[in-house]
Amino acid sequence: MAVLEDVTSPPAAGLRPRGASRREKWQRRLPLLPALVYTIVVTQVPFLVTLWYSFQSYFWNEPGGAHWTGVSNYKEVFTDPSFRSALVRSVTMTAIAVVVAMILGVLLALLLDKKFLGRGVVRTLIITPFLIMPAAASLIWSGPMLDPSFGLLNWLLEPFGVHHVAWLTTHAYGSVIVVMIWQWTPFMTLIILAGLQGQAADVLEAAKVDGANAWATFRELTLPHLRPYIELGILLGSIYLVTAFDQVKLMTNGGPGTSTTTLPFYLYQKVNFAFDIGGAAAAGVITVILTIIVASFALRMFARVFQFEEAR
Amino acid sequence: MAGVKYVGVSRVYAKGAAPAVDALDLEVKDGEFMVLVGPSGSGKTTALRMLAGLEPLDGGRIEIAGRDISDVQPKDRDIAMVFQNYALYPSKTVAENMGFALKMRRVPRDERDRRVREAARILDLDPALLDRKPKQLSGGQRQRVAMGRAIVREPKVFLMDEPLSNLDAKLRVQTRSQIAELQRRLGITTVYVTHDQVEAMTMGHRVAVLSGGKLQQCASPRELYDNPVNQFVAGFIGSPAMNLVSAPLADGGVRLAGTVLPLGAQVRAAAAREKLTELVIGIRPEHLHLHLVGEAAAAGGARADGAELAGEVLLVEELGADALLHVRLVGDAAVADGPAAAEAPVVGGTPVVARAEGRKPPAPGQRVAFRVQPDDVFAFHPQTGARLAG
Amino acid sequence: MTAVAQAPAPAPRRASRRVREMTGQAGWTVLGWAVGIAFFIPVLWMVITAFKPESAAETWPPQFAFSPTLSEFRLVFSGMGPFIEHSAIATVGSTILVLVLALPAAYALSIHPVAGWRDSLFFFISTKMLPVVAAIGPLYVIALKAHLLDNIWLLIILYAAMNLPLAIWMIRSFMLEVPGEMLEAARLDGAGRIREIVEVIMPVVSPGLVSTALICVIFAWNELFLALNLTVTNASTMPMFLISSVPQEGLYIAHLSAAATVASVPVIIVGWIAQRSLVRGLSMGAIK
Repeated sequence: MAVLEDVTSPPAAGLRPRGASRREKWQRRLPLLPALVYTIVVTQVPFLVTLWYSFQSYFWNEPGGAHWTGVSNYKEVFTDPSFRSALVRSVTMTAIAVVVAMILGVLLALLLDKKFLGRGVVRTLIITPFLIMPAAASLIWSGPMLDPSFGLLNWLLEPFGVHHVAWLTTHAYGSVIVVMIWQWTPFMTLIILAGLQGQAADVLEAAKVDGANAWATFRELTLPHLRPYIELGILLGSIYLVTAFDQVKLMTNGGPGTSTTTLPFYLYQKVNFAFDIGGAAAAGVITVILTIIVASFALRMFARVFQFEEAR
Repeated sequence: MAGVKYVGVSRVYAKGAAPAVDALDLEVKDGEFMVLVGPSGSGKTTALRMLAGLEPLDGGRIEIAGRDISDVQPKDRDIAMVFQNYALYPSKTVAENMGFALKMRRVPRDERDRRVREAARILDLDPALLDRKPKQLSGGQRQRVAMGRAIVREPKVFLMDEPLSNLDAKLRVQTRSQIAELQRRLGITTVYVTHDQVEAMTMGHRVAVLSGGKLQQCASPRELYDNPVNQFVAGFIGSPAMNLVSAPLADGGVRLAGTVLPLGAQVRAAAAREKLTELVIGIRPEHLHLHLVGEAAAAGGARADGAELAGEVLLVEELGADALLHVRLVGDAAVADGPAAAEAPVVGGTPVVARAEGRKPPAPGQRVAFRVQPDDVFAFHPQTGARLAG
Repeated sequence: MTAVAQAPAPAPRRASRRVREMTGQAGWTVLGWAVGIAFFIPVLWMVITAFKPESAAETWPPQFAFSPTLSEFRLVFSGMGPFIEHSAIATVGSTILVLVLALPAAYALSIHPVAGWRDSLFFFISTKMLPVVAAIGPLYVIALKAHLLDNIWLLIILYAAMNLPLAIWMIRSFMLEVPGEMLEAARLDGAGRIREIVEVIMPVVSPGLVSTALICVIFAWNELFLALNLTVTNASTMPMFLISSVPQEGLYIAHLSAAATVASVPVIIVGWIAQRSLVRGLSMGAIK
C-alpha cells in the first residue's frame, strides 16, 4: 500500500547507507569530521574546563592561582538570592519576549501576505529592526527614544497624557523586553510569512467553497499548517534571547538595583567585577544543567520537525 | 437541485489581453452532467471557477436555479467542488475533511458523522481510513475523499475540475464510470471540466467544446461526433483524430491523391457560393475502408461506387481489436509504378490514419487502397473552419 | 448551439467590483504602511538625530527642523578605523571558516548520509543550546593562557563555532532540495563525487549558501558579549566602538546616533538587498 511506502521512504535525495564497507563508511564520515572535531573542541572543552573551575577557588585578580575548594562555590551560588532571581528573570523575560514577538509576527505576516501598494517597501521597513546591531538598538532606545527629558516616545505619547516618564528607571523590565520584541518580531514575521506562502492556494479555495469565513479558515486550516513554523520560531527565538546581553548591559546595566539582571549579565558581573572565576563557573554549570533539561524538551520538538520533514 | 445558466459571461485577466472566457452562453439543465472540454487555455477552468465564485465576472451573469449569483460569495452558492489536486486539508483527518463544510454550517456532530459515514459507504471508502490524514492515503483514496467531501454537502451543483488527471490510466477509466454512475444515482447537476475528449464523450450527457475562450459547440456526444459544426470540433473530438486535409476543388469533388473524391451536391453548392477553390476535407479513420491493392486489381473495374485512395503503409499500431494504419496517400500513379517504386521511400504525399481490423493488418511498406463513402466526407471552409453544409 | 443574442456586459457590476477591490486594497495599504512606519520610527529617528548638531539633539520638544550637519559623522569616521577593520576581519573570517566547515558536514548529513546522521545533527543543534555565557569565566582564562586574549583570531574561532550549527542545518536543508533523480542521472553519466558536487549540487545550493552566509554575517557583525569580555584594544569591534562613543559627561546623543548609524548600516544595506534570500534561507532552514 502506498501509505506505508510514503512514510518509510528515505528523506529526499538521501541514499541510505546500506551494507556499506568500512572504507565506504569512512569515506562518508570524512566530510563530517572537521566540523565535528571543531565543534567539540571549541564548544565542549570550555565546558569541561568550566566544570573543573567550578570546584576551584580562583580570583583572577589575585596572585596564587586556583586551588581546590570542593562544593563551596555551589553552596555560595545556591544561597545567592541574586542568582536565583537572575535565573527566573532570564526565563520570564525570554518567554514574554518570544511569545509576544511570535503573536506580532503572525499578525504582521498575515498583513504582509495581503496584496497592497508598496508591500515590498513595508516588508523592508519591518525587517530592519532585525538587521540593526543590538548594541546600537539598545543605545538608541535608551537615549533618543526613551530619555525622560528629550525622548521621542514621551513626545509621541504626550497627547495621551504621558509626561516625561523616565522609562528606564520606572519601567526598566518592560523597556528591555520591548526592545527585545522590537528586534525579534521581524524574525518571526519572516518565518511565518514563508509558512503562509507555502500554503497551497487550492486548499484555501476549497475552504471558501466549503463555506468557511476568514476566521474559520485561519483557525481550522492556516494555524495547524503554521504550527511547525511557529514552533521553530519560538525555539530559535528562545535560543538567542535567553543569552541576550546587550540590551541589559547598555540600557539598564542590570538595574535599577538588580531589577533587570539576567543570567548572562550576572555571569558577566561575576567575572569582570567580582573577578570570581570559580563562582562564575559554578553558576555556569548550574545554568548548563538547567539548559540541558529545557533543551531536551526542545530537542523533542526538533524531532517532530524532522518527522514532519520526512512525512512530506 | 437546480440548473445553471451562463449569460454572456466574460473574463479578462489583464487589460487589453484576449478574454480568457468570451461572452459564454450556456445552459445546464437540472440534473444534467455537462462536460466542458477543450485544450489548455480554452477557458474551461476559468468558466468553472467563475461558477464557483473563485473568479470574478467581467461581464454577463451566472444563474443557479434561476437566481443571479454573479456577486454571491462562494459559500452562499450552495455548490461543492472537486479540485484537480484534491485540495484536501492536510491537517485534518479524512472524516474531518469530509465533514468540514457541514461543521461550517453548524450541523450537529452526530448528524455530521452520520452523513460522512454514508458518503464513505456510497464511495466504497474503507471506514478504517476515516481517521487517517490525507498524507497517508494513496492517490486513488485521496480522489475518493475529495469526492466524498463534495457529496456530503448535498449541494445544488457539483463542480469538478479535472478530478481524474492525477490518477493512473487504469484507475482513471474505472473512476470515470463510477463518477458517471454516482451522478446518475444522485441526480445532482454537475459541471465537469476536462481536457480529455474521451472522458468528455463517455461521461457527459452533453459536452461543451471550448477553444480560445469561445464556445464552439454544445451537444450530445453522439451529435458532436457525427455533426461537428466546425473544423476545431471535428479535429478535437474522436480518437484517433479525424484526418483533415486541404484539397483543391475539382469537377464533382476534390482532388486528393491523384483521384477525385466525390462530394455531396449541397457541399459543392456551398463551396461555389463561397467562391472557394480549395476545401479542408475531413474523414474519420474508420471511414477509410481498406482494400488491398491486389484485390482491387482482381475485382477489375469495380471502382465506380466511390473514389479509391491509394498509398503506402508507413506504420502499423496494433491495438488488439483493431489496428491503426499510418499511411501516406500517394495516388494511383505511384502505386502503378510497380516494384521499382516500392523500394524507394515514399516522399511527400498526404499522411492519414486509418482504422483496420486487428486480425490481418497490412505490413509496413505494403501498398494499400481505401474506399470512402461520399456521405462520410466532411468539408470545411479553409479560412473560417466552418462546416460546409452537407 | 443556437446563437443567443449577446447580452451587453453589465458595466455597473464590473465598476462596483473594482471599487470594492480598490477600497479593500486601500485599507490594507494604509494599515500596512502605518505598521511598517511604526516599526521603522526608531531607525528613522536614529538617522535623523545623527545629522543634528549636538545642541539640537537633546531638546524638548524634539526638533524636526534643523540645519543638518555631517560633523558628527566626521568625528565618527575619524575614530572608528581600527574597530571597523577588526569587525570586518572577524565577520568575514568567521563566515568563511563556517562555510568551509559546514559545507562538507551538511553534505555528509544529507546527500550521502553517514550512519548516525540524525544523532550528529542533534549534537550540532544542541551545542547551540548551551549558552556560551555560562563558560565565559573559564573561556577568559583559557584565552589568557593560550595568549589569544585581545586577539582577532579568538573572535574568528568563537564566532565560527557560534554560527556553525545553524549553518550546517540550513545548508543541509538546501541540499535535501537537490532532486534524487538529478544525482542518479549524474551517476549514470559517470560523474564522480567531485563532479557531482561541482556540477549538480552547487548550482542548486548556491543561493542557499548566500543566505546562510548572510545570517552568519549578521550575527558575527552584531556580536557584543564575547568581544566585550575577551578583547580590549587590539581586537575590539564595532559594537565596542559604539559603547566607547558614550562619554561619561556632556552632550553625546547626536554623536551616539551617528556612530550607531555607521555601525548598523553595512548589515542593514546587505540585509535589504538580500532580503528575498534571507526569507528563503530562514524558511528553508526552518522546515524542509
